[in-house]
Amino acid sequence: MTRLRDAVERFLGVDHLGDRYTYVDDQSREGRGPVSASRAADHWVRTTCGYCSVGCGMLVGVRDGAAVAVMGDPDHPVNCGRLCPKGLSEHQTIAAPGRLLAPRVDGREASWDVALGRVADGFRDIVERHGPESVAVLSTGQLVTEEFYALGKLVRLGMGVRHFDGNTTLCMASAVAGYKMSFGADGPPGCYEDFDLADVVVLWGANIADNHPLLAPRVLSRAASQTLVVVDPRVTKSAMLADVHIPVRPRGDVALLNGILRVLIDEQLVDLDAAREHVDGLDQLVAHLSTWTVERAAEESDVAPEALVALARTIGRAERCVLAWTMGVNHSVQGTETVTLLNTLALLTGNVGRPGASPFSITGQCNAMGTREAGFTASMPGYRGYDDAAARAELSSLLGVDESRLPAARGRAYPDIVNAVVSGRIKGLWIIATNPVVSYPHREILEIGLRGLDLLVVQDGFETPTVALADVVLPAAIWGEKDGTFTNSERRVSRVRAAVEPPGEARTDFDIVMALARRWGCHDELFGGWRGPADAFVEWRRVSAGRPCDYSGITYERIDQCGGVQWPCPEGDDVAPGGTPRLYTDLRFHRADGRALVHAVEPKPISDPVRPEFPLLLNTGRTVEHWHTRTKTGRVPILENLSPEAWVEINPADAKSFGVRSGDWVQVSSRRGSVDRIRARVTTIVRKGEVFIPFHWDNACANRLTVPEFDPISREPNYKQCAVNVQRVQPAGRRERRTFTASP
Amino acid sequence: MTAVEVPVVVPVAIGMPTRKPKGDGHRPDMLALDAGEQFRFGFSMAACIGCHSCEVACAEQNGLPADTVGRRVGEIEGGVHPDTRRVHLSMSCNHCLEPACLEGCPTNAYEKLSNGIVAHHADECIGCQYCTWNCPYSVPAFQPDRRIVTKCDLCQPRLGAGLEPACVSACPTEAITIEKVNVAEWRADPSAGNAPQLPDVGLTLSTTRIELPDDMPADAYAVSDWNVRPEHPHWPLVWLTIVSQIAVGVSATAGPLQHRVLAAALAGSSLVGAIFHLGRPAMAYKALRNLRRSWLSREVLLLSLYAVLAAAAVAVPGLRVVATIAGAAGLFASGRLYIVPGRPAWNSPLTIVRFGATALATGPWLTGHRHLAIAGLVVALASLVANWIRLVRLDTRPARGALLLELRWFRPWTMFRVLLVAGAIASFGAPLAVPFALSVVAELVGRWLFFVSVVPLNIPGAFWRGAAGSHR
Repeated sequence: MTRLRDAVERFLGVDHLGDRYTYVDDQSREGRGPVSASRAADHWVRTTCGYCSVGCGMLVGVRDGAAVAVMGDPDHPVNCGRLCPKGLSEHQTIAAPGRLLAPRVDGREASWDVALGRVADGFRDIVERHGPESVAVLSTGQLVTEEFYALGKLVRLGMGVRHFDGNTTLCMASAVAGYKMSFGADGPPGCYEDFDLADVVVLWGANIADNHPLLAPRVLSRAASQTLVVVDPRVTKSAMLADVHIPVRPRGDVALLNGILRVLIDEQLVDLDAAREHVDGLDQLVAHLSTWTVERAAEESDVAPEALVALARTIGRAERCVLAWTMGVNHSVQGTETVTLLNTLALLTGNVGRPGASPFSITGQCNAMGTREAGFTASMPGYRGYDDAAARAELSSLLGVDESRLPAARGRAYPDIVNAVVSGRIKGLWIIATNPVVSYPHREILEIGLRGLDLLVVQDGFETPTVALADVVLPAAIWGEKDGTFTNSERRVSRVRAAVEPPGEARTDFDIVMALARRWGCHDELFGGWRGPADAFVEWRRVSAGRPCDYSGITYERIDQCGGVQWPCPEGDDVAPGGTPRLYTDLRFHRADGRALVHAVEPKPISDPVRPEFPLLLNTGRTVEHWHTRTKTGRVPILENLSPEAWVEINPADAKSFGVRSGDWVQVSSRRGSVDRIRARVTTIVRKGEVFIPFHWDNACANRLTVPEFDPISREPNYKQCAVNVQRVQPAGRRERRTFTASP
Repeated sequence: MTAVEVPVVVPVAIGMPTRKPKGDGHRPDMLALDAGEQFRFGFSMAACIGCHSCEVACAEQNGLPADTVGRRVGEIEGGVHPDTRRVHLSMSCNHCLEPACLEGCPTNAYEKLSNGIVAHHADECIGCQYCTWNCPYSVPAFQPDRRIVTKCDLCQPRLGAGLEPACVSACPTEAITIEKVNVAEWRADPSAGNAPQLPDVGLTLSTTRIELPDDMPADAYAVSDWNVRPEHPHWPLVWLTIVSQIAVGVSATAGPLQHRVLAAALAGSSLVGAIFHLGRPAMAYKALRNLRRSWLSREVLLLSLYAVLAAAAVAVPGLRVVATIAGAAGLFASGRLYIVPGRPAWNSPLTIVRFGATALATGPWLTGHRHLAIAGLVVALASLVANWIRLVRLDTRPARGALLLELRWFRPWTMFRVLLVAGAIASFGAPLAVPFALSVVAELVGRWLFFVSVVPLNIPGAFWRGAAGSHR
């Protein structure tokens, strides 16, 4: 009866839900002010955003044990209170649908005890039957540094796994390898302040307006004297902010950089003698550049000779120049070499180690840096090389384990792990907080490989297409439910805090690592006396001491006092409270002799070039509303409504010849697979002959098309150039009324 | 796992950016206005990076459901690669000097406050959605869960607390600003309220000041242009208009008692549609509050009066003429209310002609006036074609969109309607029920097309956000 009355009242509109939408004066924090009652908090938890690696400080508002709001931390030096749309709705990810609430074994819910037993016994059994090469672990850039450190110890020292890598190989590996080749160690040399101070900022293959929005204000609010250059084949949102846009041909970067270097040397805009003081390899470089005339470089990069010369002069004459890059450089079979060329350009023009003057990789994931520093994947904790005898001895003594327990070599990198999975040499795989089914190139082969595993363990916060293939599912806590630290692009270590409890039986990744260590029988040896992530941090500080990423002077208290601390920060009084903003200020590098090394690079042709069957070149990338494979953002209704579907950008000239109009459904196919239904966006963002697809979607997965080709040095995939065809399958017409569904 | 309350700590100087940090949202200078001033938004297209933070901040501030949008960011592009130009336009309520929402609102739910904010009072709103047609920018939006319209109030409560609106505070590049404007000066020259692909500022004297980039190409288009979608059919309004028009047609030609009974029954039942169209039928009586300005209020009054007079005419035949006059006036008001700049396909006297033609083409069959009905059908078709010609000549985005919907998307239905009219004319000699039924179905289909194939004037949209109006 009451229900009937409610229904009638509702129909008659007696009540317009004014109570639900009323404002309250939220006194929980100064400056909060009147706000919708649904967003009123009773306390705020200070933390760092869990999406990209800009590392914005934020506060999470909590009411009755639930995260109800976020606000940018006005006191954080990175973002000064501002957030991007993903950050502004990040509290919605915590209670989003599709969370994993209980462990699963073979598709059925199981207790933690049973699930961890299956993981430990399963991996042990595989190693016994097939040898130590038969198990691998794929980690992520999403955990806190404390978890990476603990996970690395468990995987490498406890379980003795030979093959351990992370999805950071899919985004920043080329920057890491390039830094190592140029400077002898990983670590972005500059900081965000350099964007403010530079006369010239070059964004090379970096679309910050979409992908790192909170860096954009730094180049937008620039002084009139600052010049912003964007090098990108597409006219991205960032290109629209630029004074100079260089629409380089895809894979034309090496030619363009060689041409710039040649002009700088010819016009004596670089002081080679001064550079010789701290740089090796110059003679080989100069000799190599003899074949790189402006005409050749212009031709191969498809940049007008005058524009190339003008760009070289702009960089060469700058008093302070920042050369920043991201996936446009890294996502290439030549990523590492291109990074070394950018480093070379910085070294020769004196743009290293000075305020406003630096090469600078803008990192992808919130804590990709954390796993690079502490993760035991591409290097041992503290950027220690596997082949560095002194570092091995030091680490084994710091950790109190015999040196023979340390892995003899890095082991397989991500794509080589996948290859071994596909070929059946790896039988057991543990995937943590990453979704390779959507994010790895040549998806069909990967799926076949994952289905053929004896044991696939997936540890994640949400249901994903990768979780769907798992034999054992471990439900993990996510951002907002965990404590620790993230390191951002500028080496700033910031605090991450739990605002709420994990749902259901989900546990923090730290707790899962500890529980598995107990199962494996290595807990007391590796983690004796540890109670939480803070204990991992204390040990990590000790282990990192004296290394390039020295944390020894960083404490949780100091992080809070300074709005983050930039490493290196050795213990002692001679470091500023906020740490070290810039590396290499003394031009002493981490190579054995303290000198940097420049490399001569020849461009490689595109391996999957356009041809009559596949006449268009595919580029992939991102959009501001989404993060990676939409595991989180696909579950935030407002973000999903802003960008509900994938699309393919096609130039009007191509659209005309392919008979495609904006809004038409098209099929995009490559030699490897096809995206059967995707909306066409006819636009001059892309040049004639090129198309672009954002890679976030499972149902229109760009990685069904991409080529499984990898940088030989960093092993990073070449996501950005492959040949495709486009065919119209259905004209734009009645558009399905789209309602938000929580199934990314 | 305990939540930690951390004190605010001022960062120390070293390693901190030299960039002047943005404000913390406090704007005590926005607490008071000088005489003759009002608040308004400013927007810089050159500064906007299209990040959509303002949209999310607005939704968070107001706790809006995902299907209700308080602020929208559109995208305009033009040029040829690599000389492409792309700009974004973030827009919420423009707090106009002559707000069309307020003018048309039948319940006076809108109020132009002394500080210039166009406020919407939820308690007074009956969910008729007339403002969603009136606003050339499609700002007021029907919020389905509340069954009323909601819109931006410039974060009036925040302003009162000395804080910026949420969108201004969230904008990372300071593209959106809150400002004071001298009303008389703006009225004298509001040209800074214009932008490519935006309705002319003169329609409502929008107060938002827009800074344009200096090199917009002439061929700039909204990237939402492809995304033309049918509007909501508003079935109760199809019922109200068609049935009341049949009634007027009967009244005008009624003779014996049964004609007058029929007219009264039709006139009365048409009003059911008016009630059911409202988000809040219980508050229907409030629709009479703005007779001074709103054609919707007048329609409600006149059609109600007509229903009463038509009923009285059953007993007093002499009242038939008076009832017919009231009905015709109601019909006029009915048509007149659709003549709004925000809906270009309706924005013509032809709308009134089309409504009148429906009355003529249907009612007279029931009273045996075949020739009159045929004339009505001819006028109905002629005015339909005349409107298409008008839209072809107009050649604006919404005009092209309306033609696309009516002539391509809904072509079978448009053809069906024309065939029905032809059939009604051809069945001239058949029993009256046959041409009457054909005519009524023809006009029903036509009225449904009238509602679904209109395209709002609107602001430029983003690629995924099309030209739809109130139900976006």
